[in-house]
Parts: sequence; C-alpha cells; structure tokens
Amino acid sequence: MKISKHQLGIVFFILIGVVPFFGALLYAVLYSFGIVGILNEGFTFLFWKSVFHSGDFVKSLGYSMSIALVSVILSVGGALWLAINFTRNFQSRFFSFIIYLPLAIPGIVTAFFTFQLLSKGGLFSRIFHRLGWIESASGFPDLVNDTYAIGIVLAFITLVLPFFLLLFLSVYKNENIEQLSSLAKSLGANSTQVIRRIIVPILLKKTWIVIVLYFIFLLGSYEVPLILGQEHPQMLSVLIIREIKQYDLTKISEGYAIAVMYTIMVSLAALILFLPKKKISHET
Amino acid sequence: MKPKSKHIFLVFLTILIFFPFIFLVLLSMAPEWRFPNILPQYFGPDNWQTILRSETGLLHSFLISLLISLSVGIVSTLFGFLISRSLYYHPQRKWLNLFTYFPYILAPVVFGACLSFFFLKMGIFGNITGVIIAQFLIAFPYALIFFSSFWNKKIKSYEDLVATLGGNQWQKYSRVLFPLAKSMLLICFFQTFLISWFEYGLTSIIGVGKVQTLTIKVFLFIKEANYYYGAISSCLLIFPPVLLLYINKKYVFKNRV
Amino acid sequence: MFLEIKNISKSYKKEKVVKNLNFSLDANLTLSVLGKSGCGKTTMLKIIAGLESSEEGEIFLDAKNITREKAEKRNTIYLYQEDLLFPHLNVFENIAFALHIRKLPEKVIITKVKTMLDNLELSGQDHKMPNELSGGQRQRVSFGRAIISNPSLLLLDEPFGSLDSLTRNKMQKLFKNLSRKYNITSIFVTHDLKEALLMGDQIGLMKEGNLKVYDSKEEFINDPGTGVQNEILFWDKLKTGESVEENNSI
Repeated sequence: MKISKHQLGIVFFILIGVVPFFGALLYAVLYSFGIVGILNEGFTFLFWKSVFHSGDFVKSLGYSMSIALVSVILSVGGALWLAINFTRNFQSRFFSFIIYLPLAIPGIVTAFFTFQLLSKGGLFSRIFHRLGWIESASGFPDLVNDTYAIGIVLAFITLVLPFFLLLFLSVYKNENIEQLSSLAKSLGANSTQVIRRIIVPILLKKTWIVIVLYFIFLLGSYEVPLILGQEHPQMLSVLIIREIKQYDLTKISEGYAIAVMYTIMVSLAALILFLPKKKISHET
Repeated sequence: MKPKSKHIFLVFLTILIFFPFIFLVLLSMAPEWRFPNILPQYFGPDNWQTILRSETGLLHSFLISLLISLSVGIVSTLFGFLISRSLYYHPQRKWLNLFTYFPYILAPVVFGACLSFFFLKMGIFGNITGVIIAQFLIAFPYALIFFSSFWNKKIKSYEDLVATLGGNQWQKYSRVLFPLAKSMLLICFFQTFLISWFEYGLTSIIGVGKVQTLTIKVFLFIKEANYYYGAISSCLLIFPPVLLLYINKKYVFKNRV
Repeated sequence: MFLEIKNISKSYKKEKVVKNLNFSLDANLTLSVLGKSGCGKTTMLKIIAGLESSEEGEIFLDAKNITREKAEKRNTIYLYQEDLLFPHLNVFENIAFALHIRKLPEKVIITKVKTMLDNLELSGQDHKMPNELSGGQRQRVSFGRAIISNPSLLLLDEPFGSLDSLTRNKMQKLFKNLSRKYNITSIFVTHDLKEALLMGDQIGLMKEGNLKVYDSKEEFINDPGTGVQNEILFWDKLKTGESVEENNSI
C-alpha cells in the first residue's frame, strides 16, 4: 500500500514533470528535420543548414548572452553594494517591507514602464525638452529598440537587482557574516579587506548557482526584448517565436531547429549545475 | 559612506522603489499625457470608470487572470507538496530531481511553442483550461524544487512517530505534515500564483489571443499605443501582488516571533 | 511470553545489520539493550515498530503475529533520541495527540491528560509551546504523549542521549515510576553501561547485529564482553592509586 502510493506519485511526476518536456523536445526535433509539419515532405538537413548559413542563431545567441551577462553583472554588483553598505538600514520595519515591492512588478509591466520613460516621447525626453537640451522628440537618443539594447538591460536590472538584494541580505544573515566580519577585524583586517576577503566571497560562493540560473532565465526572456528590442538581431526567445509563428510557413522548421539548439544548451547547463554530487553512504 | 550621504541615498532609493507605482497610477489617470508635457494636462479617474464598462474587457480580464492564477497556484502547490514527498522517498531521488530542472530552466514561451501541437490535438488550444494546464506545467517544477528542501530525516521521523502513535494517512497529513509545512505552503502558493499572474509568453502562445489575461491586455494596449489603458491594466497587475506581499510578509514574520 | 522475536534479519546493500534476532520479553518488564552506535539497535527497534521491514523472521506481540501488520496498527510506539514534539501544538495538545487520533470523548481526554501532566510533574505547563520548554521537560512531554495511549510495547532509542547528566538521572527515575504506574512493557536501548543496568529488568548486549540477552544481571556483570568488569577494575585501581590510563577503554 505504502509503496504503491509512492509509485503513484512517481507516475504523476513523470507524466507532468518529465513527459511534456521530452515530448516538446521530440516534436521540435522532428519538425526541424522535416519529419512532421504542414509543408514538410520527410527527413532533410535543409533547415538546419539554412539556420547555420544565415548565422541567425549564432548572432542571436551572442546578442542574448551579452545582454544577459551585462545585466547580471550590473545587477549583482549593484545588489552587493547595497547589501554591504546598507545591511542595517534594510532591517528596519519600513525598508524590510518596501525592498520586496519591486517583486510585484512583472516583466511586461517593467518593459512598458521602461518604454514610457525612455522612448523618444517618454518622460525623460519631455524633461530634456523642458530643460532645453533637445529641440524635439527626435533629438532624444535611442534608448529603447536600440542597437545597444540599453532599454533591455535597464529593464532586466530593474527586474533582477531586487531579487539579488533580497538573496544577499538573507545569506548575510544566515551565514553570520556580521560575526565573521568582526572576527576578521579583531584579527587585524581593515574594512576593505573584510569586504574583499570575507563578505563578497561568502555571498558569491553561497549564491553563484542562483546567479547562473538568473543568467539563463534572462537568456530566454521574452516579453522584455519583445517590447524593447530591435528588429535585428533579436534575443533567442523572440527569434524562435517569430520564426515559428510567422506567416512564412517555410521558416517554421528553422524556428524549431533554433528551439532545439536552445533547449539542448540550457539542458546541458542544468545538467552541469545540478548533476548529483558524490553519493552519501546509507546510514543505519 | 558618511552618515549624511547614506541618509540622502536611502531617501533616493525609497523614491526609486515607489516611482514605478506612482508613475503608473498617474499615467492611468491622465488620458492626454504625452510629449512635450512633463505633467499631465488633465488628471482624473475617468479612465478607471471605463474598467467597469465592458468594452475594454478589463474587468473580464482581471477575473479570468484571477481564476487562472488561483487554479495554477493551488494545484501546483498541492501537487508539488505531495509529489516532492514521493520523490524524496524514492531511492533514485537525486536523478529524478535533475529532471525537474529541465522544464524549470527552459524559457516558458519556447516550451509553449513546442507543446502547442499537443495542446491542439487535445482540444485545449485557445481556451482557459489549456492556459491553466500550460502554466501548471511550468509552475509545477518550481513547486517541486521549492518543497524538496522541506523533506528531510526529521520530517520522516515525524511521519514514523505519527504512524506508531496510531495515526492513519489522512491524520498524518491533516494533523502533522500540513501544519508543519504551513508557511512553506503559503509561500509556494504565493510564488506559483505570481508565476501564473505574471506569465505572458506561454499564455499568448497557448491562449492564441482568445484567453485575454491581464498581461495579454497590457501587450495589446502597448501595441495599439493606448498607453493609458496599458497603465490601468498594469495597475491591475501589480496591486494584487502588493497586497499579497503585504499579507505574506506579515504572516511570515508572525510565525517567526 | 508477551513479546517474541524469532529469527529476524535485515541487510542494507548486502551488509547484514541485524543478524538472526531471537529473544522474548514478559509483560510489564523493561529489556535494556547496551550497544555502541551502528550496532544495529535502531534498525532492530524500527523493525519491531513496523517502520522497517525485515527479510525473514516473525514477531509475536501478545500471542498475535504482527510481522506483516502496519506500524499504525501495531500499538507499539517508537521514541527517538530527539523528542520530536509537534512544534505547532502546545504541551496539552502534544500529549493528547494519540487520544485525538483515536477520537476519544473530549472529557476523557482532558482527565487523562491532566493526570498525565501531574505524573510528569508538568502541571500548569499545559499551554506552553514546545519551544518554551527545557530539554528535560520536552522529553517528559514526549514520554507522556507515548504512554498515555497505553501502547502494548514502548521502544526507546537512546531517549536521554541529548540530556545533561543531572536531568538524565531525574528522567531515569521518572521513567521507572511511570513504567510501574502504567504497566509499560519496553525495550530501552542505550550506549551507557550504567543506564542499561539501572533501567532494565533484563539486559542484553548488541554487537555487530547480534543481540545476546542475559538470563540474569549477574551473568551480564560477569561477562567480560560487556565491559562491566573493566569498569569495576578502573574504579578499584583509582581507589588504590594505581595507574588508570591503560584500562580506560570504555
């Protein structure tokens, strides 16, 4: 009885946790090789070849990775700076509540908000105009839908910096960093040394997996680059969906080919991050 | 940092945190606020009255979003709790846990695009059921990972103790496991509710524009350059989580004291 | 015999942790089992409680074969070294737990729990939460919670292992009293030689999965394998002022 109940749980797990993922991957693989799909006529390497020839995937991957990397580095840096300099302040009743507030804002609203602030007709443009720095809306620099993805990076930072801040603050508390710091000081370390040799290493060592996870999440992010991104190159998810959902049916298979590569890439990352470590022996 | 500059910075930080909320509320009340006006020409609750009128469908969207997110939150939390237990007691749990991370780490919108064929075949493409199931598929791995830290030797000992004290399965859950996991269940519900409430890409793929949740509305209004309605929808999206956050935070704190 | 264990064996990954267990115990008696950690005593208790399965052998309790019975039906209670009080319930509700499960009338529950609180010297503490209690108090609540449901057999796994020696002595006395008052049959596992001698009506020694139950305390004391002789020698030498370092093996 007890065993069969567990087995039922495992069956459920496989049905809703494992099968959909591999089903989706299999479908994408079959589509990308022309085995299934509306216009496809059987196995072919054509779509894969054309994906590599056009260079869309590589460009999009490089673009996405740079954006995600820059955003994560800036967010981690900012959050570290805040967590270290204002640890005490964030423990106050008021701050301990309001630092959670940014979590109430979803990606799509952040994108919308960023657009409202930074577009050529946005709030900053209007302020610049009033100050006489620009003569018309078109004089305002391109900060959204721009080549350097400034809008996307800013939106990403707005989204993930608060997460990192909360994460660092909780690690700071749980790892007794305050005591360790005073210990280091009593051993003769100055403030800079404490930060560089104690606080930052502990915070990063305890959180690096989460930081990598957020990098991967940003890599696959969709709505922010959809609203704030440019036509070309596009971030991975936007590119994949554009190809799969567009009216040019011949492009669908290429879209799935990119989806397959993306999926395999992040799955490998999951494998590396979460592969079971050494076995712990059974205790009697 | 000197105490004074620290103080000034904290005031600046507070303004920064509140700014999006204030800005979106202002925008939602100012129908003619555009270049070159720094402040709105007219300001009033006109737009908000339109929520109650049916033509924008915002109230409808709000209710649909609420229905979907409540369903996803409740089902994911419950399933996540129960199934993470089965996983914990399985001898190969480390390998099984690994599988949880694949759907967790994948972009939901790409997952959705590759799944849409199956949803179409099952007749749940473009309806609420389909959207709930699709969102459940991404919220469930989150719940599994979330609860994997709950199960440990001590919980196993509690389970054994209840058994030797004569408790049956139902009593074990209702009198011990659920009460022990209470605050975690609440936080998990909160998180999975938010995953669903904030979800755009997957919903747009599986809902194909027929299931108009609030995030879909925000995007539609942005595309129509109807920023004032966009701001109202945004407000509807962000204030319920603020409320939840407030309740949740209070609750978590209360439990610690 | 009230409890009879016949040929119980258990292995983990080809390693036998409990080997061919055979012993019996009369009602209302306590069998104390001395053994170092890892000797298989926890596994033995869990098998008797029904929390682990054995590969072979049979268990009879009160003339009934309970080998295939589920843990919740055996009416045997297994107590850990950790007190495992339910953190969400107060002292009263913790003690009343098994009674609520058996759906006894509220009046009966109140009377029984009040009596138990008196016996545990915990009167007036009924509304305290577990985190407001000391280690000894928590262990007492844990005992009360187990004994109140009249278990046929109580299995104690190093119950006082985490207590300081003073509290430990008090708890040993309290347990003896409660055992007599509530007619408890129990197996008491410990790694403490003195505790084993104090608590048991019968004594056994467990080594590498083998349990030997002695016919009498004298036999146990005279067996050099139990370490009692070593201990006596140590104290004797201390008294006469000889060097004690070499024989200090326990």
